[in-house]
Amino acid sequence: MTTNTVYKEVLMDHYRNPRNFSDVSQSEAVHRGSNPRCGDDIKIGVDFDGDNIGKIVFQGRGCSVCMASASMMTESVTGASKNEVLELTEQLREWFDEKQGDTPAPLETLFALDALRQYPARRRCVLLAWDALESIIQVE
Amino acid sequence: MSTNPYIKQTFNIQKQSQLIRKDFPLLNLYSGDNQLHYLDNAATSQKPQQVIDAISDCYQRVNAPVHRGLYALADESTTTYEKSRKKVAQFIGAPQSEQLIFTLSATESINMVAQGWLKHHLNAGDKVWVTGMEHHANLVPWQRVCKETGAELCFIELTEDGSLDLDNATELYSEKTRFIAMSHVSNVLGVINPVKEVTQRAAQAGIPVLIDATQSVGHIPVDVVELDCDFLAFSAHKMYGPTGIGALYGKADKLATMEPMLLGGGMVDEVGDYESSWASLPSKLEAGSPNLAGAIGFASAVDYIESIGLQTIESIVSELTEKALFALSNINGIKIYGPLDSERREGIISFNLDGIHPHDIAQIAGESNVAIRSGHHCCQPLMRRLGEVATVRASFAPYNIEEEINALLEVIETAQSIFMPR
Ligand SMILES: Cc1ncc(COP(=O)(O)O)c(C=O)c1O
Repeated sequence: MTTNTVYKEVLMDHYRNPRNFSDVSQSEAVHRGSNPRCGDDIKIGVDFDGDNIGKIVFQGRGCSVCMASASMMTESVTGASKNEVLELTEQLREWFDEKQGDTPAPLETLFALDALRQYPARRRCVLLAWDALESIIQVE
Repeated sequence: MSTNPYIKQTFNIQKQSQLIRKDFPLLNLYSGDNQLHYLDNAATSQKPQQVIDAISDCYQRVNAPVHRGLYALADESTTTYEKSRKKVAQFIGAPQSEQLIFTLSATESINMVAQGWLKHHLNAGDKVWVTGMEHHANLVPWQRVCKETGAELCFIELTEDGSLDLDNATELYSEKTRFIAMSHVSNVLGVINPVKEVTQRAAQAGIPVLIDATQSVGHIPVDVVELDCDFLAFSAHKMYGPTGIGALYGKADKLATMEPMLLGGGMVDEVGDYESSWASLPSKLEAGSPNLAGAIGFASAVDYIESIGLQTIESIVSELTEKALFALSNINGIKIYGPLDSERREGIISFNLDGIHPHDIAQIAGESNVAIRSGHHCCQPLMRRLGEVATVRASFAPYNIEEEINALLEVIETAQSIFMPR
């Protein structure tokens, strides 16, 4: 697989134009996810709407994979219930750990991450935002 | 630019590195389009066939307990182990073999000095100095010992170009200073620090100095008598030897007053029911069954280096570094850390590209079989001082060839074409 397919248009688009990328200081709940080993450092901010994710934003610095994954996550979970998010996070982890195979991504909006499943070293980058969101929900 | 006489013999140098490369089976596993461009030598070097054979020979011919048996084979294993110690000790100019302690790694060596020696010589209010460019291995052990004793940890800061700012470390040789720990060569900046200057002034003030020589032994000349350091730590795996073995050199009086961290077999003299006395050096500091194969591999790495010649190694690496620095510094949007003068560096180059995360560059490199590193390189305090979260690092060994610099340049071009704003 070539580099160009890995950094598919979709990933690059999310990296260049991250969705919901803004100041988290106004959010109801904030959690930081950082991986000093490679230099990813982001914050996820959530406003709940009852049991659902009302608004989710993120902020920070990281590699293209980390930033794109965070951006895709914010699009994928807006409006979802806490349980749905927890379930989706678990499915994403399992799907990623499978490394390859025909299993589709747990959500269509996440399909571009498929290109990264063969790189175990990027697991942490992909999951950093998801781990942070999971922590927010678990303490809620 | 360079005054190194070998640099002029470019042709010979390239031929030399091709020859050296032949000794490294792992590098020769790959050929053609799959050729591995291993530029992560500062993390760990590859191993030549000579070292691999020596280790394998140990298990095929020499293996028996060291310092423990009375039969001929046990004699041979003990003699070989001690011969290996002598070899490594001589390589760094240690006056006595007993001053060379085999450890697990440079990391362990440094921890032994922090907990086994310095801890017993520190009081609240004393100062311990390190530099702003230390590897975590030469920082965290001192953090702990300072916390435990109430001593203060102080930093020699860096100048703009990544050299040590000794002029502004005014309190370095003050009466309060009890210890200085510094690296000989930075594993990120590649800069060669003026350790001699520090040991000389420290000696006048009666301050012991530990040198973390993990990136210098086997790469540039290191002579503990000339450097006049009190302790010196290094690892075999960064100098073509095996993993799992390192060394600690110490001045005789320092090692004599060092408390062993590990207690058990081999390091004791008399063992009573409730109390024991320690064996003499070096055994006192080598508890447990010695790492025979490791020591043999370590010594054979020294043999290997000596067979090529340290000067040849230095010339090849310095030529590669000079060429790489020149080519890299012409790239738009690159920031290279550390002094640009190749005379003051070893074969380690850290850099960043505008708008591209180091992790992304290393991944793209990996896809072209260019092994480089991205991250903080176990130097988070240095990253903060550089104002970066991470850097990309390429590091050279004498088996690297010029073609591999080109491979690196191509990777950078690819990364820029993918990531640069269109
Ligand atoms: C400057 C420096 N010091 C210490 C170490 C630690 O060496 P080891 O991991 O072999 O103990 C390293 C290795 O990365 C290093 O580069």
